[in-house]
Amino acid sequence: MALTITCPICGKRNGYEFRYGGEEKGPRPDEKDLTPESWCDYVHMNKCVAGVQQEWWFHRDGCGSWFTIFRDTTTNLEKETPEAKE
Amino acid sequence: MMNRFNHLPTLKIDTSEKIPFTFKGKQYYGTKGDTVATALYANGVRIYARSLKYHRPRGFYSMDGECSNTMMEINGVPNVRTETTWLKPGMVIKEQNVKGSAENDLMGFIDKMDWAMPAGFYYDTMHKPAKIWPVAMKQIRKAAGIGKLSPDHHMPGKYDEIFPTCDVCVIGGGPAGMTAALAAAQKGLRVILMEARPWLGGQFDYRTAEYANRQTCHERAVQLAKEVEKTDNIRVFTHTANIGAYNNNLITGFQIGTEKDSFTERYIELRAKSVVVATGCIERPLLFENNERPGVMQAGCALRLANTYGLLPGKTGVFSIGHDLGLEAAVALHDLGMTIPMIADIREDGQDPVLLKAVMDRKIILLKGWVATEAHGRKQVKKVTLKSLDGTAEKTFDCDVLVASAGFTPLTGPLVVNQAKLKYDAHTNFFLPTDLPKKMHAAGRLLGYENGLSIEASGHLAGLKAAYDCENCSIADLGEAKKAMESKPGPARGTKLVMAPVKGRKTFICFDEDTSIKNVKQSIDKGFDVPELIKRFSGAGLGPGQAGIPGHNLPLFTAKYQALPDIKIRPTTVRPPLVPTLIATYAGTNHTMLKRTPIDDLQRKDGGIFRNIGVWQRARYFSKDFTSRKEIENVRNNVGMLDGSTLGKFRIHGPDALNALQRVYVSDLSKIKEGRVKYTAMCNDDGCVIDDGVVIKLGENDYYFSTSTGRAGQTVEWIRYHTRYENWDFSLVNLTDAMGVINLSGPNARKVLEKVVDIDVSNDAFGFSEYKEFKVADTIPVKAMRLGFVGELSYELHVPSSYMKALWLILKEAGKEFKIKNFGVEAQNVLRMEKCHVILGQESEQRTNLLDIGLGFLWSRKKTGYKTVGVAALTQAEKDNSRLKLVGFKMENNGRAPRDGALIVDDRVRGHVCTARDSFSLNEAVGMALVEGDMSKVGTRLAFYEDECNGELIYGTVVETPFYDPAGQRMKM
Repeated sequence: MALTITCPICGKRNGYEFRYGGEEKGPRPDEKDLTPESWCDYVHMNKCVAGVQQEWWFHRDGCGSWFTIFRDTTTNLEKETPEAKE
Repeated sequence: MMNRFNHLPTLKIDTSEKIPFTFKGKQYYGTKGDTVATALYANGVRIYARSLKYHRPRGFYSMDGECSNTMMEINGVPNVRTETTWLKPGMVIKEQNVKGSAENDLMGFIDKMDWAMPAGFYYDTMHKPAKIWPVAMKQIRKAAGIGKLSPDHHMPGKYDEIFPTCDVCVIGGGPAGMTAALAAAQKGLRVILMEARPWLGGQFDYRTAEYANRQTCHERAVQLAKEVEKTDNIRVFTHTANIGAYNNNLITGFQIGTEKDSFTERYIELRAKSVVVATGCIERPLLFENNERPGVMQAGCALRLANTYGLLPGKTGVFSIGHDLGLEAAVALHDLGMTIPMIADIREDGQDPVLLKAVMDRKIILLKGWVATEAHGRKQVKKVTLKSLDGTAEKTFDCDVLVASAGFTPLTGPLVVNQAKLKYDAHTNFFLPTDLPKKMHAAGRLLGYENGLSIEASGHLAGLKAAYDCENCSIADLGEAKKAMESKPGPARGTKLVMAPVKGRKTFICFDEDTSIKNVKQSIDKGFDVPELIKRFSGAGLGPGQAGIPGHNLPLFTAKYQALPDIKIRPTTVRPPLVPTLIATYAGTNHTMLKRTPIDDLQRKDGGIFRNIGVWQRARYFSKDFTSRKEIENVRNNVGMLDGSTLGKFRIHGPDALNALQRVYVSDLSKIKEGRVKYTAMCNDDGCVIDDGVVIKLGENDYYFSTSTGRAGQTVEWIRYHTRYENWDFSLVNLTDAMGVINLSGPNARKVLEKVVDIDVSNDAFGFSEYKEFKVADTIPVKAMRLGFVGELSYELHVPSSYMKALWLILKEAGKEFKIKNFGVEAQNVLRMEKCHVILGQESEQRTNLLDIGLGFLWSRKKTGYKTVGVAALTQAEKDNSRLKLVGFKMENNGRAPRDGALIVDDRVRGHVCTARDSFSLNEAVGMALVEGDMSKVGTRLAFYEDECNGELIYGTVVETPFYDPAGQRMKM
């Protein structure tokens, strides 16, 4: 696997060591006012960005932590974290 | 057997050592250092194969596997590229795709049928009517194709894989590559140098022309190779073909082992900070009639046959070339004894004056602006017609070799597969890489340099650029190398001729797929006007040579035939693997990666029959009776011991430990008391049940829990995933391998345990569903739970793995008087099935939710505020009656049990059997099945359809569960 991923604890490592955890969608929605539709959207709907997306990875063969990176889905290259928008 | 030179400095053979091999059933001898192809050549073989479609004779043409001409079957493996395969003693070599022999192929007449097979004739003809295709396909498959592989073929040899890393990877061990490697290594970097041939040196290795200062190219290659080999921080991989290059400089290749190596072939996947590609050039084939007749070969091939392998390609050789290497080869082969009636050089001018003088000195006729137009001879070249480029003047010569080459073509594969773009360059007539990937550099002859000093200067510069990428080289050093480069001669001018002035009916642009110029014209006339389309319609470049022959000529010809003003057309895309690679090499060694429990060997001694279950090896039976009857009856009547060490075991502690458990488990765990065992389950976000197990509260904020065997590996990941936003403070430890489990079950279980523990284990002191910690033999710390998975009085004993053997032996000894016996996983499976206790994955599949399987009682609907995984979906599914339900059934009329997985049918499929067995405890066949909701009522008749039952159904009825001890008294006694 050509992909490399930078783990916040272990540093830049081979993509084989990690497991994908989906797009970053924010915390789990509150149970109150949750409709089946909004729940399904949260669990199953993805943006499938052609470009840079924030996504979760698990360092399975390493420190065992979950973290997010930014990756360009068109080139499969990890990107620098964009500066936080005000 | 031909005489072989044995005095040339460039030779790689040792004529004193003979190697026997079998070809077409007869014994022959090669020489140490031979490839299979050169050994055959030495034994007089000229026709190596017949072509894919037309069964045309094919011979030695290039030398690095650019085409399928010399592919043969070796030791049962088809399509072996004999040009790059080293001869080994005892090899059994056969020809492929011939009826008779390659020499006399009964299918040879097909060559005259080409008029019936224009480009794309399958697409045009074989669909009307569609019925003829299966019939026609059978005949075509018989007549066409390359090798055949038996489905039972077992691949001999040892295959391995390595994953090295380095600072700089240099692909190509010629002069440019070696110079680049040395430049980077001198900057203190770790360098890996990959070379496809078994030795370093590249094109310098076989050339005896002057490099500089009276040093020959060969001598220079040896000098550089020595320097490389004595540089400690260069690791050289020879006989290693590069097959891929990817993002972040991931480079792949495979190495062919020698007799000294521990592998036949090994896959190499390496990561470099920077990469230099110095793969050099191959020759661009010259297009004329019968341009692939055996006896026609490229200049480098002819020269290497002589200089590397000591074989004079033939007695009389005519040359039709377009580059200085052609002149050099003519001079060298003349000096070795070949008669050369004429050299036709495509170029009107621009030849190296030194070579021109050498040709004149030898009184060889050199005609500039001439080219070969047709090779004659039915099976081998006997005569050749040459014409001036305008086609007006003509000469013919008798010969047995025709050296033909239009010029060079760069090997840009590694750059292109890593997304570099190719652009036509008018000066070199090459398609040169632009937009090179980050930290990837090109050097050497592939950029068009032909002068040795230029090649090395470009290698040096690329090596320093790579060092700069690694932050080990200053800008000043780079500038100096650039200046040095600019002072050397630039890229050489390339010939532009695409094909000789002929019509092209038997002018082959692609040998592998038998694609002629006529076929390409037909494709273009039908509207397939770019190489990518022509390739797919006519087949040009689809063969195993990976477009090594047509790669360069196809876009040039396409542009020319359409009279395009400028060459914007690109070559077809190349893809990894750049060189055909054995699947065995990719697969590597087949390691057995199964885990064994701490008492694996004790169970084997007791006659355990083991099976692979997930990542584990487990004792499934303890006798050859696979119904496990004796084991089952012993648990029901006396007492049995099971190794349950594969269970997932975890400890979670910290202020937020309970929060984390509440998030993933459906039950309300805030209510568990110390000393009690809580059985519960986990769902995924769809409410589908993924795991069940028990949770024990060890103390304040401290819990011990078990998961099923299959989930042990993912549980930490699961819990951390579902709590990843929370910033909760808890520690989670996987104790699966640190702890072992013994399950002591049966009416006599307490009597056994009493003998060895230091506490009161009576039913009053240690009741059902309770948890205790105690010591066995005053030493072994045990976490004990009273559970009833198999439906009898039973204790689950969790102990540190290192004590497992001791505890097992102690229990066995203590249990002797109570008839203790091992029981295996199959016995447990039947025992628990009789109690209708589920095993997830057996009674559930991916879509089965908590409610379907009858575990809804575990779900605490009052627990809110924890955002428990799966609850939202369960709430929704509760109203859904269409879902499958788990039911128990008995067979009618004392019938046998259906097989696991049998379908439940009426006029369609209505469900399936999860587990069913002939029960010895109950004296009848029972089982559990998932059926559609409307069939789940007690009394419903079920019809079972088994594989290969020929429509004969068997029948059962839905009954109340559990089957055995419905009141559950036995496990509570």
